[in-house]
Amino acid sequence: MTPALLGNLGVSLALAFSLLGLALSLLAYHQGDGRFLKGAKALVLSAFLAALTAFLALEWALLTHDFSLAYVARNHSTHDPLWVTLVTPWAALEGSILLWSLLQTLYTLLASRKPLDPWRASLVLAVLFGVQVFFFGVMATIASPFQTLPNPPADGNGPNPLLQNHWMMAVHPVLMYLGFVGLSVPFAYAVAAMVVRRYQTWVGETRWWTLIAWGFLTAGKVAGMWWSYEVLGWGGYWAWDPVENASFIPWLLSTAFLHTAIVQETRGAFKAWNFAFVTLAFAATVLGTFLTRSGVIQSVHAFAEGPVGPAFLGFFLLVTGLGLGLLSRVSREVRDTAVFRLFSREGALLLGAFFFAGWALVVVLGTFYPLLAEAFTGAKVSVGAPFFNQVSAPIGAGILLLMGIGPILPWRRPRAEVFQNLYILLAVLLLGTLVGLLRGYTFGASLAVGLFLYNTAAILLLVREGVLARLRAGLSPWGFLENRRRVGSLLVHFAVALMGLGIAFSQTYRLESEKTLYRGQAWEVGGVRMEFLGVRALDERRRFAVEASLRTDRFGEVRPRLHFYPQMNSPLPAPKVVYTPGNDYYFLLMDFDREKGEWASIRLIVTPLVFWMWVAGGLLALGTLYILWPAAGREEVKGVSPA
Amino acid sequence: MRAKYLIGLGVILGALAYLIFGGLGQNLVYFLTPSEYLQDQGRYQNRPVRLGGLVKQGTVHYDKDKLELRFILTDGVAEVPVVHKGTPPGMFKEGQGVVVEGRFQEGIFRGTNLLVKHSEAYQAPKAGWTPEEVRKLIEEAK
Repeated sequence: MTPALLGNLGVSLALAFSLLGLALSLLAYHQGDGRFLKGAKALVLSAFLAALTAFLALEWALLTHDFSLAYVARNHSTHDPLWVTLVTPWAALEGSILLWSLLQTLYTLLASRKPLDPWRASLVLAVLFGVQVFFFGVMATIASPFQTLPNPPADGNGPNPLLQNHWMMAVHPVLMYLGFVGLSVPFAYAVAAMVVRRYQTWVGETRWWTLIAWGFLTAGKVAGMWWSYEVLGWGGYWAWDPVENASFIPWLLSTAFLHTAIVQETRGAFKAWNFAFVTLAFAATVLGTFLTRSGVIQSVHAFAEGPVGPAFLGFFLLVTGLGLGLLSRVSREVRDTAVFRLFSREGALLLGAFFFAGWALVVVLGTFYPLLAEAFTGAKVSVGAPFFNQVSAPIGAGILLLMGIGPILPWRRPRAEVFQNLYILLAVLLLGTLVGLLRGYTFGASLAVGLFLYNTAAILLLVREGVLARLRAGLSPWGFLENRRRVGSLLVHFAVALMGLGIAFSQTYRLESEKTLYRGQAWEVGGVRMEFLGVRALDERRRFAVEASLRTDRFGEVRPRLHFYPQMNSPLPAPKVVYTPGNDYYFLLMDFDREKGEWASIRLIVTPLVFWMWVAGGLLALGTLYILWPAAGREEVKGVSPA
Repeated sequence: MRAKYLIGLGVILGALAYLIFGGLGQNLVYFLTPSEYLQDQGRYQNRPVRLGGLVKQGTVHYDKDKLELRFILTDGVAEVPVVHKGTPPGMFKEGQGVVVEGRFQEGIFRGTNLLVKHSEAYQAPKAGWTPEEVRKLIEEAK
């Protein structure tokens, strides 16, 4: 038995089980026969085990340096450290699809364990098996991770050095895939709901799934931002690169869905919106893969181009067609009949969802515009980051504004006492902005200060209200913490406000300076005094490192590096970042005297409040986890616990 | 009440349309070769452009103390002088395909970002290539 044999066996079996499962679950629905459903359910575990076998076969091949596999030869080398080897399955296209499929079978397995009426259970399984058929089909035909080479090389290239340069790369893709795949479950439930015409319960039943997927997507995005900041050496965290956009779109749409879903759960409204949002969110994950893996759009993330582009495009059209086609069939029945006020909780939630969806639309437009422009006018254009920034700032501000008042407003109609709170919040917003302006900040940064304080005040008002209500009822005020959904979402909202503040300041105030220093020369810039002590070279086997030593007055000795990988012609910077609550100090070695080590070009980037963005990222994960954590005495959550 | 919603939706859509159509025009970054620039110079003055071409042999001057890189970018027919602030990237060398992001100011292209195009598939252009061939080479290399 060789890894290639085992892997191919795993993929083929997983494909066969998924096809059979799809057929059985469709039969179960059509015949109304529980035996077929039982059979389909039994295949869920088999498909998962087959996928797991294939995945472990790839790990086996990597660990034993089996270069007869094309994937191993291209993406692995005998010098790779163990952790790099273990994460290499998702360092390139075929392995990523394998990981994606494995996670899909895992989610299908967990979803199939939830009790559900046989009609919808069959349909949910049919959709999830259908997704699996697509992925395993792609692997069995056009993107096999187990393709063998007739003449295996003695050693391989190793994975892209950008991926080896930071441990975050081990985490970020898995989190993203867990998020992408997680959206398939609410989508499957939505399809089932539209087919059996029971429109209300699916939203509540998939609440956990949506939140889990959203939590992973959020954590994955923040991890990716951090990786970009620490590894790419440009001192930024977001470049509006097509791949970043591609994964931002499902995040925006699932955020919209998360908010309108609350309204359907509580008031039974916005059914059509929820079907549309969940379809588009799941479809967007597939579209993103098409965008980035087909080579139609240039990006730093793009793996080598393969034939998977058209397959993913077709699957995207299928998903969108299925979801929106079913929706148009039942549109008459899911129309909202109740009357809503804009100035109410549901009004704010819907408006907020529009903001998120509108933002997604703008990002789609900006990302695809170059393709359209080239197709119609032949001009080669790219849409720069300024466009995205310019459009996103007002949308972000609008969202932050709604985020503050939304939870304060009661359902249906505002009560008189609410207005008092709103006046307080308005005063905080204006005062905060004014203080910012008086301190000489730009209007945008001042508004960000105002919005941060306004949101913090709104959260404090809500906590105070909750605690007072409990005290009046003679209960312990700590019981407020047991309202996990409320407390967790307030924590998430606070984190978003903090993130907004960090983004506004780091984008507005950024100091970047570069200078060539000779040995012993001192340089004072951005509030730091540094002295260049010299450079030294280090042979680290898989790479060669050059390290500059800088003695600083505030942070001791700082050593930014350049890494030279044999498979890359240009060196990769390994910046040294000193995080402080006020500013981040980002030291980069740009160039050095190759002969005598007498001089080095050093760049310093000082960015305010970036530290708080990573804190906000942690709080986002914590808040989501708090909502998801199973509370005593409540229905146990079946699902994976977010990392 | 329904009217209120429609108004709200209209306002949002209007704002979006304004942002998209007002914002895109000024933020489109054209990808040009030196000959395309020389054909229509006025149009590209002082606006963001990505200029692609080859670094002309024997024209590279880098001053590490001023951190100033000067070279001539060519597509085989036309030439444009480039001044880039900052250290040259590791793979930067003469005859290399590069893309410079920046603006034209007074006949000189002032670069803010310099990308070296390199890949295994990359091959040095041969003498006598047409601008179209050079352009294709630069676009296709990663």
